[in-house]
Amino acid sequence: MARNSTARRLDETAPAAPGKRLEFGGGEPPAPPVRPNRPIGSNAWLATLMFLGAEAMFFAGLIGAFIVFRVGSAIWPPPFQPRLPVGITGVNTVILVFSAVTMHAALRSVRAGATARVSRMLAVTAVLGGVFLLIQGYEWAQLIHFGLTVSSSVYGGLFYTLIGFHALHVAGALIWLALVFIQAKSGRFSKQQHTGLRICVMYWTFVVALWPILYGLVYLY
Amino acid sequence: MSQTVAAGATHAVHGHHEELGFWRTYIFSMDHKMIGRQFLFLGLFMLIIGGLLAMMVRWQLAWPETPVPGLSAIPEPYMYEGIIPPQTYNALFTMHATIMIFFVVMPIMVGCYGNFLIPLMIGTRDMAFPLLNMLSFWVGAVAGVIMLSSFFVVGGPAAAGWTGYATLSAKAAYTGVGMGQNLWIISLLVLGISSLMGSINYITTIVNMRAPGMTYFRMPLTVWSLFVTAILLLLALPVLTAALAMLLFDRTLGTSFFLPEGGGQPLLWQHMFWFFGHPEVYILVLPAMGVTSDLLSTFSRKPIFGYHAMAFSMIAIAFLSWIVWGHHMFISGMNPLLGTAFMMTTMVIAVPSAIKVFNWLGTLWGGNIRLTSPMLFALGFVSNFLIGGLSGIFMASTPVDIFIHDTYYIVAHFHYVVAGIIFALFAAVYYWFPKMFGRMMSEPLGKIHFALTYLFFNLTFFPMHFLGVGGHMRRIYNPTQYEFLQPLQDWNVFITISALLLGLSQVPFLINFIWSLFGGKKAERNPWQANTLEWSAPTPPPHGNFEVQPTVYRGPYEYSSPEVKEDWLPQDKPLAKGAAVRGH
Amino acid sequence: MLRWLPEDVSTYGHEIDSLFYLIYYITAATFILVTVLMVVFLVMYRERPGRRAIYSHGNTTLEIIWTIIPAAILIVLSFMSVNTWAKLKSEVPPSDFAIQVTAKQFNWDVFYPGPDGKLGTQDDIRFDNDVHVPVNKVVHIHLTASDVIHSFFIPNLRFKQDAVPGRTVTGWFEATKPGRYELPCAELCGFGHSGMKGWLHVHNAEDYAKWAAENLASKQQ
Ligand code: HEA
Ligand code: HEA
Ligand code: CUA
Ligand SMILES: [Cu+2]
Repeated sequence: MARNSTARRLDETAPAAPGKRLEFGGGEPPAPPVRPNRPIGSNAWLATLMFLGAEAMFFAGLIGAFIVFRVGSAIWPPPFQPRLPVGITGVNTVILVFSAVTMHAALRSVRAGATARVSRMLAVTAVLGGVFLLIQGYEWAQLIHFGLTVSSSVYGGLFYTLIGFHALHVAGALIWLALVFIQAKSGRFSKQQHTGLRICVMYWTFVVALWPILYGLVYLY
Repeated sequence: MSQTVAAGATHAVHGHHEELGFWRTYIFSMDHKMIGRQFLFLGLFMLIIGGLLAMMVRWQLAWPETPVPGLSAIPEPYMYEGIIPPQTYNALFTMHATIMIFFVVMPIMVGCYGNFLIPLMIGTRDMAFPLLNMLSFWVGAVAGVIMLSSFFVVGGPAAAGWTGYATLSAKAAYTGVGMGQNLWIISLLVLGISSLMGSINYITTIVNMRAPGMTYFRMPLTVWSLFVTAILLLLALPVLTAALAMLLFDRTLGTSFFLPEGGGQPLLWQHMFWFFGHPEVYILVLPAMGVTSDLLSTFSRKPIFGYHAMAFSMIAIAFLSWIVWGHHMFISGMNPLLGTAFMMTTMVIAVPSAIKVFNWLGTLWGGNIRLTSPMLFALGFVSNFLIGGLSGIFMASTPVDIFIHDTYYIVAHFHYVVAGIIFALFAAVYYWFPKMFGRMMSEPLGKIHFALTYLFFNLTFFPMHFLGVGGHMRRIYNPTQYEFLQPLQDWNVFITISALLLGLSQVPFLINFIWSLFGGKKAERNPWQANTLEWSAPTPPPHGNFEVQPTVYRGPYEYSSPEVKEDWLPQDKPLAKGAAVRGH
Repeated sequence: MLRWLPEDVSTYGHEIDSLFYLIYYITAATFILVTVLMVVFLVMYRERPGRRAIYSHGNTTLEIIWTIIPAAILIVLSFMSVNTWAKLKSEVPPSDFAIQVTAKQFNWDVFYPGPDGKLGTQDDIRFDNDVHVPVNKVVHIHLTASDVIHSFFIPNLRFKQDAVPGRTVTGWFEATKPGRYELPCAELCGFGHSGMKGWLHVHNAEDYAKWAAENLASKQQ
């Protein structure tokens, strides 16, 4: 792949641009210096950032819809619908947030060159993520049992859509994490080379950071 | 690999990489240029389908409930011996619009030209993620297949308009369309994935992989426009995805987000759809504006007028496009105060568009204008955008919109802008065909194509303003059912005849395109004497694009520069030291 | 072009029409200006051998001018529109004459108050697709729909309002000329959208009284 950025190839250094000034309609600034364009970060990092931007807009859409219904309803949650388990989900929130801590610990370890610790930390993160999903699954089973379904009310529909899409993201992040774990085990990451781990950490952080927002909105608000 | 190229032997291009087989060269190619060509063929194929659907729509409007010639074989209940029933009519314009917007203009302007031009114009070897790029095409193609397959399912394709307003779209009972509407949703969801991959690739490539010396403000405006478009796509489409997912759940899982009987809100769909939908229309038009800017400058042999203003106005349009969506909902029963706010923002967004139009004029002023076929089409785009943009002002004014909303005035407006983009699309095809396929297209045929298309385009869409002023509703199956529309029926006939001729006017293009692919005159490297980097690559560019990594010394529009005696000065042409300072 | 406008028979139609005319003149002037310049440039500066284009990157003064003038025009237009819009939407005149219209696939159900003189009660009197109103009276219409979105459109009154299921929107008009006016549905509502139409009958005072006596009073007993 043409990954190693073009920009680094041909390098004709020139004196810095003298007093660059931006003119409307004035064309380009005088004395064009030929400088290589330094990439602002690795391609993979930038692409992940873009991807997270898109993901954020997706959830913004769903959250917007939630707020429309929330603000538009006098009584919320609607009568005759089971209450959400605020307490146990609160515990679950702590678990998930803690997984972000261990995930970042893995990143710090790789930067410090402690490769053994990296896979340990990844394993802990994966377990925490798994526990989060299991508790969620248990909760869902209970709620369905008590009569909260997608079709029982808009409340139910919103709950399962928002929380469900988040759970899907956690599941996806877990699969990604598993792959990164295997790579870490086989010694793919080093102090200098760990982009694969880094973008996985970015994604995990996004998924975790999203959760308190959803918890606050769906369970508490 | 990069070393070999930088080493600079023209030979290297042939020698240094293994020959790929047929499948990896033509089908599962990861080369941005082949992917670009694939998007072009996909888009042109869909253009024919979308256009033929429009012809059926027009037939029904001019001669309601008479058999369409040649279609008697289509079985009931879709057609009755060639007669279009109302249900099918709704499906026709729904699919016409969906195909034209999502499978013609987006694949060609964004998919094809984004892919083909970005790496070439910024002077790099390929996209940042070639594999992702290949996937983006194939996922898009799957979306297209899903969309087309909906013509063959029971109940027919989606028939709720391209805007898919809930509640009509949210329950099969309301339209009688079951699977077709689901496939419509699924296809657009899948297409969302495709364009997500594409836009991530474009942004990363533009930000990280520009050639040495290619600063942001030396990028051709085409690249600027694709950059801004990619950002809009990246952030707008996920919102549509969220809305489509909710709609699909309403249809299949029994939720009721948009169905009031279950506590849902029909207007929520409109808000979500247009929050995406308005940026979408600029996603469609921005690349057309970028291409037009490049072509006007090249063929006027003159620098673009106000380069920075052109780039900043695109950025301004992109920003503003997020806060105008409510102008589609003035009559929806939304709070009138919101209507006022949206009217204000809508008026404001016309200002950056005004800057663009006047700067295009400024570019023509004092030029040495070559009226080649790509130039003619670019001018055609400007002229159509002007009319379509100005008619937008009428509907931006809330009181006037009360009357013209959902009439043919709107249909006239958006065909002038959206179908006007087809002019920029043709301009781009004529202009970059030599680079893409290594051969020239026929100029005389191109000019005939332009003259006919321009004439019949205006004869088709301008009279729609008259219909709109007369109150002629859009999306109606049979205008002769209304007494107050009867005096206007002659216009419908006139429009349909023009539309059919507009369709036939595309035949010279098809002939020209196919003939030139195989028998056109071999193109030289820089047939239009243009400045941008793609023209300093071999024709057609090999895998890896450039023989030598280009270095950029100046902006893309240095035509008729006093520093050289030719009237063009390529971006990568070094001049003697000191001479690079422009006297001014 | 504007001679195709349907005859205006409402009190506020002329305000909409005059805005329409105003924008028409502005845009027509802009269109002519730009088109003429374009054609002139294309002819004047057509390619001639040996001629060189003017080497100019723009002109800041010019660009500022052609940014400010359209901006000013558009701002003025906005304020003119806001006034009319507020008059139509926010400053609804009081009225003692109200009817309820419920749109459904593919009919207009028109309700008049029954013996209790109130709308929205069991005894409302229903008509299919025919609205009868007296001339020179402010009429309030409570619009809603029972299945999909429809749009209540009376071209001659310059009146259009979507009828949205699940909510009621009130619109108003005052007809100034007796007659029979077509009432199409302007929002796609299914296969019967085309042809979903009714009639607005505007009567003068006596005729309306007669009609009411025959159709409302008789049922009110
Ligand atoms: C490429 C697509 C495109 C573009 C660029 C635009 C551009 C604009 N559109 Fe359009 N629009 C659509 C595609 C597009 N639109 C589509 C598809 C629909 C219908 C969707 C549906 O319902 O199916 C629609 C519908 C639509 C509506 C909703 C109408 C309704 O349903 O009732 C409105 C309302 O405000 C609107 C306004 C505008 C405005 C103000 C602009 C402006 O950006 C235009 C700005 C440009 C100019 C004004 C011209 C150049 C300026 C000058 C020369 C300066 C001088 C001018 C003055 C002083 C006036 N559009
Ligand atoms: C990019 C977008 C795009 C493009 C290019 C077009 C192109 C055309 N459109 Fe489209 N149209 C829309 C976007 C577009 N439209 C949208 C968004 C709607 C709204 C839908 C809705 O309400 O939901 C719409 C709705 C719409 C309507 C209104 C339907 C209604 O409200 O009831 C009509 C009616 O005349 C129409 C006509 C046409 C015509 C005649 C063309 C022509 O320009 C097409 C010309 C092209 C060809 C014909 C194909 C190529 C030619 C050949 C292959 C040669 C052979 C041809 C023949 C033998 C004839 N369109
Ligand atoms: Cu009811 Cu259209
Ligand atoms: Cu819009």
